[in-house]
Amino acid sequence: MLLELRGVSRRFGGLVAVADLSMGVSPGTVHGLIGPNGAGKSTVFNLISGVLPPSSGDIHFKGERISGLGPAEICRRGIARTFQATTVFSEYTVLQNLMVAGQPRSNDGTLAALVCSARYRRGEIDAHSRARALLAPFRLDSVADRVVGTLPHRDQKALSVGMALATGAEMLLLDEPLAGLAAQETRDVMDLLRTLRRRGLTVLLVEHDMRAVMDLCDRITVLDHGTRIAEGTPTEVQANPAVVEAYLGAAVGSEAGG
Amino acid sequence: MAPRHAAISPLLALGLLALAGVILPLVTGDSYYLDVATTIVMNLLLTMSLRMQISTGQLNMAHISFMGIGAYTSALLAMRAGLSFWLTLWVGALVAAAFAVPIGAIALRLTGPYYFLITFAFSEVARLIFNNFFVGLLGGPSGLVEIPPPGPLLSVAFTGKLELYCLMLGLFLLGAAILVRLEYSRFGLAAGAIRQGELLSATLGVDVLRYKLTAFVLGSAMAGIAGAFFAHSHRVLHSSDFGLEPMVQLVIFTVIGGVGSIWGPVIGTVLMTVASELMRELRHYETLVFGLVLILTMLFLPDGLVSVPSRLVRALARTRARRGAIGVDVAT
Repeated sequence: MLLELRGVSRRFGGLVAVADLSMGVSPGTVHGLIGPNGAGKSTVFNLISGVLPPSSGDIHFKGERISGLGPAEICRRGIARTFQATTVFSEYTVLQNLMVAGQPRSNDGTLAALVCSARYRRGEIDAHSRARALLAPFRLDSVADRVVGTLPHRDQKALSVGMALATGAEMLLLDEPLAGLAAQETRDVMDLLRTLRRRGLTVLLVEHDMRAVMDLCDRITVLDHGTRIAEGTPTEVQANPAVVEAYLGAAVGSEAGG
Repeated sequence: MAPRHAAISPLLALGLLALAGVILPLVTGDSYYLDVATTIVMNLLLTMSLRMQISTGQLNMAHISFMGIGAYTSALLAMRAGLSFWLTLWVGALVAAAFAVPIGAIALRLTGPYYFLITFAFSEVARLIFNNFFVGLLGGPSGLVEIPPPGPLLSVAFTGKLELYCLMLGLFLLGAAILVRLEYSRFGLAAGAIRQGELLSATLGVDVLRYKLTAFVLGSAMAGIAGAFFAHSHRVLHSSDFGLEPMVQLVIFTVIGGVGSIWGPVIGTVLMTVASELMRELRHYETLVFGLVLILTMLFLPDGLVSVPSRLVRALARTRARRGAIGVDVAT
């Protein structure tokens, strides 16, 4: 297992968002994490990426314990994430966004920046060319020097995935990368995710588009009320009565809740 | 290959600034103008270093206190230990930086209003210490007087206003060169990223605390240099020199100029210092005018005065586009 959660819980006051969750993600797979609204998917992402510490339990990545580390350190260990609400540096250009994300690979001191050593300048050129190399796969070549805040949603979405990749991560946590995309754009992003898997990257995917999830994922974990109610291949999960009930129940519940 | 785009080359802008600074005393030998110019250049070092801190998403209300630490350190070393100003100047900067390391390491774990408040609290503590504690050493409420002026260096005596102006200009240009270099390096890129999205930066592996602390300590060292110069050029120090009022003034200079650009504080500081000299008759009401200008800037020019040229260009382009559209209408 590349990533392993062992009995992870997270409480917010009296509310248990994630309860004693154990799951594993194998290297080189696209692993889906699905469940009704409020099931705890985003909390799981926050726990893995170090945005929140777990209340109890351990998270291991490549055999090392990462729970308790900060988000920057976890990113440097090889896990990058995107956020559900597309987050980019809106005052920067596409290229600058990618360069910020590429920084950790070349974390030089401030002194090096001041004296502008040859090594530092090489690092600067490297960062620039690495960022450029990411433009084409995300179809961002034509807008490379545009300020991101002025770009359409699709481009910002693609950029946020590109930034996660630019960190040099081996594992990406993608929070609804297809939300708000048109049909053709959805196909583009799905193709991109397949390419990432072919390159050996591991993806943990939260997504509401069930057709895409069933199509893309090698394995799926289903959450409800912060606990794992099913896990398996797409076909196994679809046939699981507990999953069907959770989704139908959730639909009724959300209607009742208004 | 700068990772960030600049409207004009930063080196060119720095050169123009240096040129303006050198030409000024040639144009006027008037000692009043030289005094004002010296104050402007000293304030520039303070506001530009403050902006560098703000650019990493921290509004440090204790910036003036680190100026005070530099001032008192340098003055006391010169008065009590008889050390040369040319040494105490740098010791003042180092001591200010040394205080900044633990204070920053604690305060910078807080963000937003909490950080603002803890630095504000620290600045009040520092002012009270200058005023009420170690009276035998720091001079208490009557302050320090008869601080020696800078001694001669390379057979140039630093007693006249012109020499002092040139000294401060040199110190400022050194600081500005460092700040410009950082701004257009990956340091500036990361700093701006932290300001735009701290959590996003962190999840992309940017060591947020390290960048903030670097900005805090380096900025404090620069404030310490300004303080040491202040002590030996004014030759008297009082705790109120490092209180809330001058701190708020620094913030106003910086924000009115615009914190989004490294040149914002330059515009804000020059214009507001000149304005402040013109409003001398108003005395305490001056603060009121400053406050009003600040509010108006925030309302109508949130990016500060430095954004005026680009706004004009955009407005012109819009007008031209509209006229073009009308032209097409007429033609068809």
